[in-house]
This record gives sequence, structure tokens and C-alpha cells, in this order.
Amino acid sequence: VIKSSKLDTLTSELENRLDELFREDGQPGEPLQHRDARSSQPLAELKKIVLSIDWEITPEAVESFLAQIRLLREAYPADKIVTMFLQILGSLGQYIKSNRSKAHPSTFSLLNSVFARLEEITSSPKMSELEKRKLLQMEMTAYQQLREKISQRRAADEARPVPPAPTAAKPPAIPAASEVTAPMLAQAVAELKEFFRSEMAVLRRQLKIDAPQ
Amino acid sequence: MAFVNLKNKLIQVKIVYYGPGRGGKTTNLEYINRKFQHRINSEMVTVKTHGDRTLFFDFLPFDVGLVNGYQIKIQLYTVPGQVKYDATRRLVLRGVDGIVFVADGMLVRRETNIQSLRNLQENLASYKKGLRTLPWVLQYNKMDLREQGIPMMPIEMLEQDLNQESHRPYFPASALEGTNVVATLKKIITLTIASIRKELL
Repeated sequence: VIKSSKLDTLTSELENRLDELFREDGQPGEPLQHRDARSSQPLAELKKIVLSIDWEITPEAVESFLAQIRLLREAYPADKIVTMFLQILGSLGQYIKSNRSKAHPSTFSLLNSVFARLEEITSSPKMSELEKRKLLQMEMTAYQQLREKISQRRAADEARPVPPAPTAAKPPAIPAASEVTAPMLAQAVAELKEFFRSEMAVLRRQLKIDAPQ
Repeated sequence: MAFVNLKNKLIQVKIVYYGPGRGGKTTNLEYINRKFQHRINSEMVTVKTHGDRTLFFDFLPFDVGLVNGYQIKIQLYTVPGQVKYDATRRLVLRGVDGIVFVADGMLVRRETNIQSLRNLQENLASYKKGLRTLPWVLQYNKMDLREQGIPMMPIEMLEQDLNQESHRPYFPASALEGTNVVATLKKIITLTIASIRKELL
């Protein structure tokens, strides 16, 4: 009986203390805003990935980008304008996936610009349909221009004289992208080891914080 | 395992927010950190990739203060949700005392929720722990998206998928807007402290 009474006291005191600590009374120190309000949760992820691609084009980032576009298309099936924006983003993503760092430099600025317009539209519930269409039209025009630039560059590349094929006896000076040489492999392994070392160091530091004093 | 020092009357518990990637685990901690920073006087430690996803974990320690003569310290962790970081998830689960399973309420995430819960069970099993004995609660997150016409799972479906056998407390929530973030946290703290009470008396 004494034990049970002590437990009740503990539980009750704990609940009171938690109520006091986490009282939601809008006191100072509450800079909570509706971060981009309604749109932010699905688009926040896309934004992170767009920024990530802008920083470095990794296969994971591009795959995440395309997966997020698919998700958003399912999430906004009824909104034609948003769907069009997502289509443009999806096409840009596919192009980046195929060409990676060889993608036309304007691709990335267009990617950012299309995303910014999409964010603007989805976070402005009062924006009129006409305004939305205008923004969409601007991005579609920019998209068409990029397509033309890519076609022109491709045509210029094809028009360039093809260098003579190396003879079978001479190995190519630069290995093909798919070819893995021993030094390349060694370097990759060294880089990986360094990456794991540094990440583990961070992890250990964090775990020290966790350790009981 | 909770750290209990009866001599110094100190209790330290570890609570882990678990769930699928992009489900809102970090958002929960960010909300708590931002909204109550002036009271909990703590700093959130976070290790992210450059793409801003949780690579290792987020960590938010804080003191509840004196309760019935005991100084209670809480450590909140999140795990990275992405499938490939399973080893990290297992590591973060070591010594866990209570779990908040943050499920994504979007319909398209139904299968990933189920997989993540299964993954949690497997990882707990590696420490000879299980969801039958550990205190845990569920949070069905992103409920605010329903207003935007995004297809969401009804609570009944989430319950059937994730909580049919366990019957644990659950909270429909929006971590982004703060709905039921605190209720979830209070519940798991109360359950966790209650689970270690034998050591206290």
C-alpha cells in the first residue's frame, strides 16, 4: 500500500511538472511560424533535395528528387498548374539523371527557378488563377529555351570532327567512364575509409555526450 | 537501460523517435526545442547531411527537474529513417527506455510505415528487447495535410496496420504545426518513468 501510494505521488508529481514545463501558452521564446504554412511539408522535402542537387549531383539525390516528384504528383492530382510544374521538374530531373555533371549549366538555375515558382504558388492561397498561369507560362518558356540550347549544343558536338579511333595496341590515355583501374579503385577505397573515419569520429563524440556522468 | 542513481537520486532515460524517413521525427524535436527552449535550457545537437536529412541522429537532452525527490533527465533521440542507415538506427536504439513511433499519415507511405515498424522490432530483438515489454506510443503525423486534399490514411487504417496487436496510446498529430507533439512527449515520458519505478521504490 505504501509503495502504491509512493508511485501515485511520483506519477502525479511528474505529470504536474511536465504540464508546467511544456505549458503551451505562447510565452516569449516561441518563434514558431507556419513555415511556408500549408505547403511546407511536402515541398520542404523537395526544397532540401533541390538544394542538395545544386550543391552536388549524386545518384541518391537525383533518385530522391524523382521519387519526391512522383509523390507530389500523387498528392496534388487535381491541381493542373501544380501538376504542370511538377512535370517540368520531373523532366529536368530525368535530364540531370542522364547527364549528371554534363547537364547544361542553365538546367540548375531553371530547376531552382521552377521550384521557387511552385513554392510561391502553393504557399499563396490568395493568388489568382491568372497569376498562377502567368508564372507557369514564364517557366514553360524558360524550359523551352533550355531545350533549344541543349539541342544546339548537341548539334554542335555532333558537327565536331571525330578524333581518330585509338589503335588496338595503344590503351586510351583516359579510361572510359565505365572502366575501373587499380589506382582508381585504390583511391576510391582510401576516400571511403577517410569518410568512415571522420563520420565515426563524429558519432563517437556524440555518444560521449550520451554517456552517464 | 535507464540510468538510475539511487544515492544521488538521479534518473536518466533515453527516448527514441523512430519511424520511416521523412515522417517528421526531427520536426518533433525541432518543435520542442524551439517552443520550449526558454524553459528547458538545452541545445539540440543534430548531425545532418548537406541535403539536410538526418544522417546519424538528433539529440535533445533536458532536465525535467525535481520530481518526488528525484532529479529526472530526459534524452530525446531520433534515428535516420532512410533504409540504408540501419546500422545507425540499431546503434541509437542501444539502451533505449521508451519509443515514439512516428508514422507518416500520407496514404502513399502506408507500406513504408509497416516496414519501419518491422525494422524496429528486428532491431530491438538484436538487444533482446521487444515492443511487448518496452513503453512506446504511436504518433500519426502530417494530419494537417488532409486539408490540402492530399490523400491521407484514416486513423482506423493506421491503427489496423501498426497498433492492432499492441493497443498502445496513439496521437494524430502535425509535428509541423505542433499539434499533439507535447501530448506525445508527455505520454512517453510518463510511461517510461512508470516502467522503471520498481527501481525507485
